[in-house]
Amino acid sequence: MRSLTLHLKVLITVLVTLGVLITAYQIFILGIPVTEDETDDLWNIDAKVEFVATPHEPVKVQMFVPPLNQNYVSLNESFISNNYGVSINRTGDNRKVTWSARRAKGNQTLYYRLVLTKRYSGEQLKPKGPIFRDEQIPVDGPEKIAAEALMAPIRQHSADVETFVGETIKRVNNVNDDNVKLLLGGDQSTVNKARVVDLLLSIAHVPMERVHTLRLIADQPQNPELWLRSFNGDKWLYFNPETGEQGLPADRLMWWTGDEPLVTLDGGKKIQVNFTLNNSEMNAIRLAKLTDENTDVDFLEYSLYGLPLQTQQTYQIMIMIPIGVLVILILRNLIGLQTLGTFTPVLIALAFRETQLGFGIALFTLITALGLSLRSYLEHLKLQMLPRLSVVLTFVVVLIAVISLLSHKLGLERGLSVALFPMVILTMTIERLSITWEERGAGHAMKVAIGTLFAATLAHLLMMVPQLVYFVFTFPAILLVMVGFMLAMGRYRGYRLTELFRFKAFLKD
Amino acid sequence: MIGLWKRWKALEALGIMGINRRNADYVLKYNKRSLYPIVDDKIITKQRAIEAGIHVPEMYGVISTEKEIDKLDEIIGERTDFVIKPAQGAGGDGILVIADRFEDRYKTVSGKIVSHEEIEHQISSILTGLYSLGGHRDRALIEYRVTPDQIFKSISYEGVPDIRIIVLMGYPVMAMLRLPTRQSGGKANLHQGAIGVGVDLATGITLKGTWLNAKITKHPDTTNAVDGVQLPNWDGFMRLAAGCYELCGLGYIGVDMVLDQDKGPLILELNARPGLNIQIANDCGLTLRTHAVEAHLAQLAEQDVQESPEERVRFAQSLFGHVPNKD
Repeated sequence: MRSLTLHLKVLITVLVTLGVLITAYQIFILGIPVTEDETDDLWNIDAKVEFVATPHEPVKVQMFVPPLNQNYVSLNESFISNNYGVSINRTGDNRKVTWSARRAKGNQTLYYRLVLTKRYSGEQLKPKGPIFRDEQIPVDGPEKIAAEALMAPIRQHSADVETFVGETIKRVNNVNDDNVKLLLGGDQSTVNKARVVDLLLSIAHVPMERVHTLRLIADQPQNPELWLRSFNGDKWLYFNPETGEQGLPADRLMWWTGDEPLVTLDGGKKIQVNFTLNNSEMNAIRLAKLTDENTDVDFLEYSLYGLPLQTQQTYQIMIMIPIGVLVILILRNLIGLQTLGTFTPVLIALAFRETQLGFGIALFTLITALGLSLRSYLEHLKLQMLPRLSVVLTFVVVLIAVISLLSHKLGLERGLSVALFPMVILTMTIERLSITWEERGAGHAMKVAIGTLFAATLAHLLMMVPQLVYFVFTFPAILLVMVGFMLAMGRYRGYRLTELFRFKAFLKD
Repeated sequence: MIGLWKRWKALEALGIMGINRRNADYVLKYNKRSLYPIVDDKIITKQRAIEAGIHVPEMYGVISTEKEIDKLDEIIGERTDFVIKPAQGAGGDGILVIADRFEDRYKTVSGKIVSHEEIEHQISSILTGLYSLGGHRDRALIEYRVTPDQIFKSISYEGVPDIRIIVLMGYPVMAMLRLPTRQSGGKANLHQGAIGVGVDLATGITLKGTWLNAKITKHPDTTNAVDGVQLPNWDGFMRLAAGCYELCGLGYIGVDMVLDQDKGPLILELNARPGLNIQIANDCGLTLRTHAVEAHLAQLAEQDVQESPEERVRFAQSLFGHVPNKD
């Protein structure tokens, strides 16, 4: 007996651990959302490239496109262009699209469309970058003196790369400083400030890179925003060249890095790029499935989401049955509620799916009451069991048909849902209830019937909670935890709640 | 909530056994599933008992098919009283007790007149499995009608009072006398409204009783006091019950016995899931007693000794008798 108990304990521990681990893996490693309500933004970015082609000259347009190796994953990427050849090539961290045409005339419009979302899963690549730079940007004359004059306090006020870069940017933005004025040369644009920062940092041999980002914000025309970044040996540090603020906001999408312009054009002029962004929300799990198709992580492949949609719906009902059974288990073994049969309440709960709860209870009560009166009439005829059951079943079918017809005539569409209300369950309920009635009396029969309805209602309500359905369907491993609980219940030997009342005679003295 | 918790603790301290404990620690542990048919089918129980030389009510015949219902007359013969039972019935359901014949009709023990057709319908219902556990096809058993000993007349209403002794591994642990009431319709099952009266294991003197989960001291129909009655031939009952372990091999059973005025103690049936209200009847929890028996068994196992039914009865009587309200 003891070894059996140990065996059971080990089994329960293994099952629960396994269930929890698998679920935790799904939630934390694969990043599957815990509730269905979780939606994610789906970004639709259009880059419209317009230019005027020079006649009789081959056209070549090169534009950076997001490298997509960071926190975002592309769901769909398209290059819309008439008569242009398209090729994409990667250079370093960047990705570049090249449109080319032998001949083009007049105004040309090319589109680049990208649909992307936050990356769900997958390990991030370990960032790599230079931590030291050799070459200094050549500078001489008064500018060199101004730069060196600026460097002295920066060195004094900084401790590491992060503070150094931050301090540098702050100094450069102090446009009242004469040295800064000189270096900026009257041009206070961000690009120019970035150039000065770059110059200063190059003197200190601190590497710096320009990062061009797009802000993910809907319905606002925008241009790529310039950020500076520096690698501290462990990760990239991003700086706002205007304020020296460190850290890239979460809504920035890195478009390209480096000093080159966004777009270059051969064989044309007046090139212009416009970005339009809009976003839509999408159910997180569907999104995860979509991104799944676009990444190499196929974590949903072997989940229930891999099934055809219709089968999925069936399983969404089926996978909830253990929940219903658990309810019955708790009600019977812990509470001590009496029900008709063991799993009849679960079957009735499933029937409630089709009829809705209130209507289902009314229907159940009505049909059972009528069936019981028929059954008691049949009792006088002294029929054998099988013929009697057949008569009751037929009566139930007729009754359901009549109810459907009446409710249809009355304009209650709900009544039609009855058609699939499991008749056999009703018939067996009537039969069992009538036997209970005869043998244990009306009071007991009522008690059992109410117990059954109560258990069915509770099971139904629980089985219908959409969050729960989603959770169990998405994380089926939770069923293992439930099995562990059921196993533990199998050796539960404490009192049932009703027994505390049943045996209260002991405590009267 | 705290009140319930206190009640839980109090019941636990009294050693009151709940259904979950009974199932987990006793029924599942001591009763092998494969042996259930012996107790679930009264015909097999009877055959086993006869082989073991244990007294049971005489079996007149068995009807196992619809066709054999025609043989009913033959089986009954000239007898005026007999009992028809489903072999696998549960809780005393489906039992028809015929006390007398009345021209072509029969009179049940409660005075209801039934025709031959009604008896045949009853047998037919039994055969289709209406009363059997799980609704399987069943057999009908026709047997001797027990006439209860006169001693019960004073405290009983009608029907046959029986004696239930709970036996753990051959050791009687608790006993109760079950008296039918008007409400129970002559049946001796507590959940049908019969009353249970605790019995002192050592002496066979009745204690107070239980009716519908409450404690009582008087029979609700006759208003006679139920306690202080000396049951005759008590040691005979105890030996009979203790011997049932060898008979069926099940370690935790309720043995139902009757005292026939002519034939003495007889075994009616065995129950592999005996109810728990016997505790209220005895005003004593089962768990303390079963634990004592289990401790004794462990001790015997160490010494590699097996006790005979007589020794087991003596052990139980010395431990659980005399002061049943306190231990």
